[in-house]
Amino acid sequence: MLSDSQHVELPTEQGTPERHDPFAGEIVIEGIGVAPGIAIGPAYLYARAAFEVEERHITREELDEELRRFERAVAKSERDLNKIASVAKEKLGGDSSSIFEAQALMLHDSELYDAVRERIEQDHMSADYAIQTVINKHRQLLNASDSEYLRERANDMLDLQDRIVRHLRRGKLLSVVDADSIVIAENLTAADIVLFSRRGILGTAMDYGGSTSHVSIMARALSLPAVVSTHGITNHVQTGDLIVLDGLEGRVIIQPSEETQTYYRECQERYRRLQHEQKQLVPLPAETIDGHPVRLMANVEFKEELKLLKEYGAVGIGLFRTEILFLMQRRISLSEDEQFATYKQIVETVGPDPVTFRVLDFGGDKMLPLGHREHNPFLGWRGIRILLDKPELMVPQIRAIMRASAYGPLRILIPMVTELNEVFEFRRVMEEIADDLRADGEEFAESIPVGIMVEVPAVALKARRFASEVDFFSLGTNDLTQYTLAVDRGNDLVADKYQELDPAVLQLIKQTVTAAHDVGIKVSLCGELAARPQATPLLLGLGVDELSASPVYLPEIKRVVRAVSMDETRALADEALSCGDAHEVKALLKHWMHKHACDLASYLERDS
Amino acid sequence: MVVREVTVTNRAGLHTRPASMIVRTASKFDSEFFIQKDSYEINGKSIIGVMTLAAEQGATLSLTFEGEDEAEAADAIAELFESGFGEVK
Repeated sequence: MLSDSQHVELPTEQGTPERHDPFAGEIVIEGIGVAPGIAIGPAYLYARAAFEVEERHITREELDEELRRFERAVAKSERDLNKIASVAKEKLGGDSSSIFEAQALMLHDSELYDAVRERIEQDHMSADYAIQTVINKHRQLLNASDSEYLRERANDMLDLQDRIVRHLRRGKLLSVVDADSIVIAENLTAADIVLFSRRGILGTAMDYGGSTSHVSIMARALSLPAVVSTHGITNHVQTGDLIVLDGLEGRVIIQPSEETQTYYRECQERYRRLQHEQKQLVPLPAETIDGHPVRLMANVEFKEELKLLKEYGAVGIGLFRTEILFLMQRRISLSEDEQFATYKQIVETVGPDPVTFRVLDFGGDKMLPLGHREHNPFLGWRGIRILLDKPELMVPQIRAIMRASAYGPLRILIPMVTELNEVFEFRRVMEEIADDLRADGEEFAESIPVGIMVEVPAVALKARRFASEVDFFSLGTNDLTQYTLAVDRGNDLVADKYQELDPAVLQLIKQTVTAAHDVGIKVSLCGELAARPQATPLLLGLGVDELSASPVYLPEIKRVVRAVSMDETRALADEALSCGDAHEVKALLKHWMHKHACDLASYLERDS
Repeated sequence: MVVREVTVTNRAGLHTRPASMIVRTASKFDSEFFIQKDSYEINGKSIIGVMTLAAEQGATLSLTFEGEDEAEAADAIAELFESGFGEVK
């Protein structure tokens, strides 16, 4: 128990006042708040603009440029499709690539290509409208067929239309989004979010998504208020509608009344003050009241985020997701030198604190433009499984990381490990590369720590064996949870069953930590759980040594760390491990928080 | 002009991959190439056209070639049908 003098309390005016009742005329839509903050501004509807084609005609003067636009879009679509087809063939073989090859052929099919050009030249249709007109005609014919096979081909043609239209609009789309708008979309990709954020939008709300989907992680990383899983917000919003986006409560209010706007402007102000107050925690050490240090590190995906480390008091990078570099470039391979330049810059900026580079973790929901479709990607070809199959991806990356080690401390983290053999194989590749680097006269650190993600339950269960083969563990609680509970974290239908605090998950964490500490290696935790202050005492009690989260969450985590003692968190962990389900654990944490008076802003409490 | 009668022997019929093979092969030749099924005729160099034939196993097609290299084109396309488009039987 803490004594009164050690209470950590927010000034009372920073607690959220009684729930705000909506006024008539405004539409309130509930979703999941995945990136904190409040935005008030006009909506920009992205989804429809992206795929809906309007009837539009062009002038004679625009004709040549319109034909060139069409050519460029066809060329880019062809490149996409060829790449997708070749990878599909290479990896899956047989007929898997034929659909993409057929789509590529269609691009130059006179029935399509010449017909579209004709519509542009003779009827002065815009390229988008011409494509839609021509493809609609074919789709109608195919849809009228008795053959199911042909009706399916109608969908292929729609795919093709979307692909060409996307290429026609890329760039154009961005320029129509106003800097101070709130983007409303069915679904955005992580790359979309980055582009929009650079454009200066205020926030975003989407029909789909979950709190751990990639786009949500990205929104948090960019401090862009976001609400996902709204179940159809795109049906209620028009571009230009005034909107309040509450990324704290997970709520969107369309056409808010004056009173509502005033209320939310106050909330905005309160949130700013809270952030200001958190700043004061930044220079203080992250240690419990009985002096047990916890390393608070940052999850990072972009170079742009590096400045956030100092701002929020992160001590190094606990997880750098290298695949994002590749996804951003929309390329399947970056050269060793391109990668080296980035890694070196990061290591130099973050040093002397360490940087943990997680090697490419493709697969799951992070698709390269590979195009192969797996029935069950999360149980499929991902992480280390891809890398060991594809030395052309793995070798340049490891060489680049090892070369960067000459410029500052770094660690290497292997994703999606299930078998010891994968670790042995990885180390063998590293040794070979070390020999090559020596032969090439390249400098690198002789002892680079190598750790593994503990995200497959099998690894947690075999932790004792793994602990003697690696230098550290990193608990990926997002995947560990979905693999342990058999719940797809991105699936709205079962999202409520995705519970990171399930005692089964906690048991696996406990087992991993015990095995690690027995041989003297450290355990880091880099899942979303690390970002939740309510869970911090529990994680400390389970013995986790390092927490890595989006930098923005770290001050609040530190506030909790500094308010508790290890004895009491260990007792809490023991109690949580004996709970029956996640709801009991949550109730326990909530009760515990109140009892120990780590009274956090109620905005964070809604999660529990 | 060369006209050939062929029968679709492969099990899956003229689905995506065989259709692509026909179009790619036909495109190597200068001759014009049409495929007729019942009373429906399509351009054999158009993937969209070939797919809309929806020719299934057992269907009989009439192939028409016209141009300088019509004989070679006809042989190449007929060979595809005879080989069952490389499908494992």
